[in-house]
Amino acid sequence: MDRKEFLRQVAAWSAGACAVPLFRIEPLAADEKPPGLLATATGKDYEALVTKVLEPLGGLKAFVKPGARVVVKPNIGWDRKPEQAGNTHPDIVKTVVKLALDAGAKQVLVFDRSVNDARRCYVNSGIQAAVESIKDNRVQCLFCDALPHVPVDIQNAKSLMNFEFYKNALESDCDCYINLPIAKHHSIAKLTLGLKNVMGVVSGNRGEIHKSIHQRIADLNLVVRPKLTIMDATRILLRGGPSGGNLADVKVLDTLVASADTVAVDSYCVSFFDLKPQDIGAIQAAKDLGLGESDLSKVKVVKA
Amino acid sequence: MKRFPWIPWRWWRRGAQLALLLLFVCLFRRTEYAGADTLPGGENLFFRWDPLAAAAAMLAGRSLIAAFWPALALLLLTLLLGRFFCGWVCPLGTLLDIFQRCVRPLARRTQRRLGGFLHRGDAEHSRKDGRDRSFALRSVRLFCSARYFLLLLCLVGAACAFQLVGFVDPFALLVRGLAFWADPRLFQSSDAVLTWAGQSAVDPVRQFFMKHLLPFRANTYHLAAVSAWLLAMLFLLEFPARRFWCRYLCPLGGLLGLAGRYALLRRVPARVCKDCGTCARNCRMGALDAGSGLAPQACNLCLDCVADCPRAIVKFTVPRAQPAVAALDLSRRGFLAACVAGAALPAVARAAHLSGANPSDPGLLRPPGAGDEKRFLNLCVRCGLCMKVCPTNVLQPAVLESGVEGLFSPRLAPRFVFEQTYCEFNCNLCGQVCPSGAIPRLSLEEKQKAPLGKAYFDHSRCLPWAKNTPCIRCEEVCPLPDKAIKVQKTFKTINERKEELEIQQPRVERDLCIGCGICEANCPLDGPAGIRVRRVDAPDPHTETQSA
Repeated sequence: MDRKEFLRQVAAWSAGACAVPLFRIEPLAADEKPPGLLATATGKDYEALVTKVLEPLGGLKAFVKPGARVVVKPNIGWDRKPEQAGNTHPDIVKTVVKLALDAGAKQVLVFDRSVNDARRCYVNSGIQAAVESIKDNRVQCLFCDALPHVPVDIQNAKSLMNFEFYKNALESDCDCYINLPIAKHHSIAKLTLGLKNVMGVVSGNRGEIHKSIHQRIADLNLVVRPKLTIMDATRILLRGGPSGGNLADVKVLDTLVASADTVAVDSYCVSFFDLKPQDIGAIQAAKDLGLGESDLSKVKVVKA
Repeated sequence: MKRFPWIPWRWWRRGAQLALLLLFVCLFRRTEYAGADTLPGGENLFFRWDPLAAAAAMLAGRSLIAAFWPALALLLLTLLLGRFFCGWVCPLGTLLDIFQRCVRPLARRTQRRLGGFLHRGDAEHSRKDGRDRSFALRSVRLFCSARYFLLLLCLVGAACAFQLVGFVDPFALLVRGLAFWADPRLFQSSDAVLTWAGQSAVDPVRQFFMKHLLPFRANTYHLAAVSAWLLAMLFLLEFPARRFWCRYLCPLGGLLGLAGRYALLRRVPARVCKDCGTCARNCRMGALDAGSGLAPQACNLCLDCVADCPRAIVKFTVPRAQPAVAALDLSRRGFLAACVAGAALPAVARAAHLSGANPSDPGLLRPPGAGDEKRFLNLCVRCGLCMKVCPTNVLQPAVLESGVEGLFSPRLAPRFVFEQTYCEFNCNLCGQVCPSGAIPRLSLEEKQKAPLGKAYFDHSRCLPWAKNTPCIRCEEVCPLPDKAIKVQKTFKTINERKEELEIQQPRVERDLCIGCGICEANCPLDGPAGIRVRRVDAPDPHTETQSA
């Protein structure tokens, strides 16, 4: 570091220090919400369904402040069509992005680290086309290859002490992280729900996570804390997950579940598979880490 | 008023060269997954109108390949017009001409020294009394017909079922050099410059570059440096003489020259004026000799001599009487020697274990539908397009896995890049670009049923089997709706951190497995995977020791 750079950084940091109280004047609306509020809604029109399910939570405006940098994280992991229930439904992604823009977001990024070839997943999931159809230069559907990633030491983790994350998903670069998972069968994790969706913003060898998958998924969630989770249970995958491919394994529920508490959303969604929250290791591990509430009797469930 | 054509012919030629170079670059850029399962078509055009590749593939493959009809059209056109292809169409020739322009001041000295020597070799062919030649002159003379030797070696070799065309075909050399080396370097350097300029992934300038000018990513290839050097050699040869490759080495040029030797369209006068000789000095192909006049098999119709003639008497036209044609620069002895060498190649290769008919490597997986190894090697022209188009970069040029014969032929290398390189389930692009049908154009349904190999667990490495550690990442990523990997046994255990874990031990349902290798690519182990794909015809490795 030379003198110029030093002075530049001193100026920048002190400016930041002055600016911090300014930001604090307006408290985050999400904090005001009682933590245990969960909304579900059912309907055929998925675009209207998103607005409907968010109503009890105060709409997306309650989560996205004007000027916020938003990350919308759907599941785009597989080279599958929307009806095959491998990825989040494109209409849902599109509506959430639109609502975020309406709420005044400065930037909305949509990305996921896919398992199959990223281009194929983005195209065949329909998500890229849906996002690009909005035609707003504040929205971008990006490939993870292009994103910078940084190693993160995970505080309070029990099994996974550090891992590489995409920088754009971290709190330093993102003011509002919106989690848009899809509910699917998964042979190792039993189900893949909101907590597991975080695996799409980590770089590095994801196979490492499988060695103790439940605890490690919970550990990853210590780093990435979604401000909002909207579970896509419009179609769920009962068998052959997480990739699927057979339409006979898909069950259409036309349901969305939303909450600021990912653990509560996951706990609610296990019932679609005739399971209990206790059956899913990741939910238990996340609850033990204090990431949310898995006891649905302590959560206020609102049917919108 | 100016004479017709109002724009000089030379400029028409330059325009055509640039337009076709542009076409080549566009087709090259289009040889990539861009959101549609079916490519727009035409990506393999330059190979399909290549009569050398066509002849070699048909001879070695013992079949007529209809996809090569443009090559026949080109050959017919050459019969009428001569070797115009080399001067007007060939993108490699155009690049060499551009390169020559750039290095002319540097190259002029070497060219003056060596060029004269080579030119004497050219001229020697037209001398009837060939007794009193020095050894050096004899060697140069022999070298001057190298393109015919390569052509004969290639075609006779192919007829005897030994495919060499990939080593000498100009487009194969060009495409491989560009795809394996130049394109990834272009990506990396642009990436570095854009990053330096502060353009991150969200900025519009970078997005424009990524979308329209650059490949999706910098792929990695085996033999990238070799391919680059082979191509670079063609350019470096511009120092000793203009169009050195085309003049002396290119077997496609040799073939087209032979076809166009008695073409209707030719230069008039065929002779060089004794008191001038400008055209002979300037000829990039060395096709004009002060003594013997025009060698039609060398002339590529660049039309420089039309423009440069101080007396403006040179023109290209259909002469009334066919003029005498100078002797062919290939001796009877040379012809026979090349044929014998070509015919002997398969035998020599087999004796020296260079042949690839029976691959010993069980991991040598061929692209979907390739079928019998020998058939595949015979049909494949090593154009490199399949490896260029493969979205996951799993297709790699073979090194010596299938002998020298199999060099540069495509093979699958799952796990070459961790998590990335495997055969994509819903993709059949390699079959779409293959010019010769070595990789058949299978429909997606057919391709999804054509096994590339079969996966076998290695119980001494696989985490649930060898280390009592949960994993089955392979099952998670298996693309088959019914999953070719099943859980054989489930039990609970407690690890050293006192965590209670559920272990699921996987097995492969070999009847279902199509050998795409996504399991091998995603296996989280360091080093070789705990599940590996083997050729369908490879014997059971007996690594699944504990199977039921």
